[in-house]
Amino acid sequence: MSSFTSFLYNSIFRRNTTMLATVFAGAFAMQLAFDTGSDRVWDSINRGRQWKDIKYKYIQKAEDDGDDDE
Amino acid sequence: MPALANTTRAIARSWTQHSLPVARASCGTMQSRSISEVHTTSSFDSPFKGQGSSTKIPNFGAYKSNKKSEDGPKLLQYFMVGTMGALTSLGAKATVQDFLVNMSASADVLAQAKVEIDLAAIPEGKNVIIKWRGKPVFIRHRTESEIKEAEDTKWEALRDPQSDADRVKKPEWLIMLGVCTHLGCVPIGEAGDFGGWFCPCHGSHYDISGRIRKGPAPLNLEVPEYDFPEDGKVVIG
Repeated sequence: MSSFTSFLYNSIFRRNTTMLATVFAGAFAMQLAFDTGSDRVWDSINRGRQWKDIKYKYIQKAEDDGDDDE
Repeated sequence: MPALANTTRAIARSWTQHSLPVARASCGTMQSRSISEVHTTSSFDSPFKGQGSSTKIPNFGAYKSNKKSEDGPKLLQYFMVGTMGALTSLGAKATVQDFLVNMSASADVLAQAKVEIDLAAIPEGKNVIIKWRGKPVFIRHRTESEIKEAEDTKWEALRDPQSDADRVKKPEWLIMLGVCTHLGCVPIGEAGDFGGWFCPCHGSHYDISGRIRKGPAPLNLEVPEYDFPEDGKVVIG
């Protein structure tokens, strides 16, 4: 534990530049995680109601009718 | 009368002589009195009575970290500071992004910004006028002789000098905005003195490359952004 914390301190918090870089990288990672996570929650709440869930019914019908555009 | 005056004067003098040392003494006691003496003269019961000095610094040793290095509580402080900074930068970035996205074109505008045309339906030597962003666009499928005529023109001496190669991507397809550069009328195709377009409003003549040759218009017909993504298809915009 002590070696881990000292490694953490020496690698990240010792220099302001690495600290800043870590903060911005962390912000980027947080945004990615938040966006994908909230999207997944939204999709799971609205399962079966969105266009991408029911698209296959209409796209197949369009192909049966003829070579229409999507 | 004088005797009375003398007596009052003497009384007054003796009073001042008497009172002065008392005042001096009280001054001295005020200056030199310490906390221990206060309770003898004041009814206020001081919580610090009996103590020599009121300044007693408590010992925080029990709360101090024994570690000499930077890890431990300080690491947690740094971690919290960094997390706070990351959240703040995330919020700032989202705010700025929202404002910028708000300024950019919306999806319905972008959907109308491009037009795709099937070129196979246009026979050689024919004009097609399509609507793009509310304006007419001329598409001319030029014949070999028209291409040769457009390329052989001495364009250096024209009013708006521009070579035919600068105005077309494929020589057989001439694509340009159908808006006269004079006052914005729509020129008539296959008309005029130079076999190209003729503006009926004020008599501007454009040649088969859309260049102004005669009349009041100052510039050649404008060429929009277009691309040939595959053979027989053109995307304007």
